[in-house]
Amino acid sequence: MTINATIEIFRCDPGGANGRFETYEVDVHDGATVLDAIEAVWAHHDRSLTFRHACHHASCGSCSVRINGRETLPCIADLGEALRARTPVRVEPLRNLPLAGDLVVDVDGAFERMLASEMTITRTAEDELPLDADGNGGVATRPTRVSDGLLRFNRFENCVECGICISACPTMATDQRFRGPAMLAAIARARAESTEPEVREHLLDLVDGEHGVWRCHSSWECTQRCPQGVMPAESIMQLRRDLVRRRSRRVPR
Amino acid sequence: MTMTDQSARTRIRSAVRWFDTRHRGPETWAYALNRITGLVLVAYLYIHLAVLSLLVRGPASYDTFVDVVRSPVFLSFDLVLIAGWLIHALNGLRLTVIGLGFGVRAQRMMLVGATVTGSVVLVVMGLLLFGG
Repeated sequence: MTINATIEIFRCDPGGANGRFETYEVDVHDGATVLDAIEAVWAHHDRSLTFRHACHHASCGSCSVRINGRETLPCIADLGEALRARTPVRVEPLRNLPLAGDLVVDVDGAFERMLASEMTITRTAEDELPLDADGNGGVATRPTRVSDGLLRFNRFENCVECGICISACPTMATDQRFRGPAMLAAIARARAESTEPEVREHLLDLVDGEHGVWRCHSSWECTQRCPQGVMPAESIMQLRRDLVRRRSRRVPR
Repeated sequence: MTMTDQSARTRIRSAVRWFDTRHRGPETWAYALNRITGLVLVAYLYIHLAVLSLLVRGPASYDTFVDVVRSPVFLSFDLVLIAGWLIHALNGLRLTVIGLGFGVRAQRMMLVGATVTGSVVLVVMGLLLFGG
């Protein structure tokens, strides 16, 4: 059995100029995902459609878009459900990230900023952390020791770097230097793992300041839209609590 | 693109996103309302100070003004102002508590509590304004 779906896709010239919506009709199999429909558009209507995809099961985070206005991974978004919410289904690129073309945004900048601040989001890349300004280990003596509380903090390790939280956050729209939900969640995760006081203090230093945890204005969209249940908003608040505790310890008594 | 690359126009256009609550959750409604009520309350503060300055011209001019603002239309404005104050104050308390890392997992419940409390107080204030 097949579904006949009408899908409205954002199209633009490379770099984002001449943005517009184009409507396509595709036949896809029953139980298809929105990504299946996007691929059908590419296969049967327009080979110039630019979109990203890889794993098809929410592990790589590369296909993230907005479906009917909400940030979602189309590889796990049921097409029938999307059609019931809105026909034609509207597919747009993520927000708050430079548009490369059609449904593709450039997430490099966002994650390069993480590297620049001596923090990576994935544990596999931790070995590539740069040295600090003095050429010492700094955070290169990174949090690798796993504490007993690993299970408790496991959800922070699930981030697939899809950029959905960056797009969903209204504060990111006006502060491009805001470290953002994904990065702050990663720092909270690293801090929870580390048993070394200097590392924990340094990580706390990274998130203090006007573009750190204090820039978050609690819209909670990151937690609500995250397809992996990372709960960045909760980890941002945990970091704030840690900062408040540290400051209160410094108050002369 | 960095913030410094953004023109003032782009930044203003981006700020409109603060108030775009389409497809968003109740926390974003609170986020947007807090900004709107904040701006309204600041504007009201200046209006209030301007009105108080009428006292400098003597009791007669102030009393004339007070007679005008006792009309039902102005009392309705008062109710809107009270609603704005309730939203900003109660949500502000919620944000202060969770913003310091306390009761984070109960934030949605706090939002519901603030909405219920605010609504009850608003109804009472409405009855006090128009009932007597």
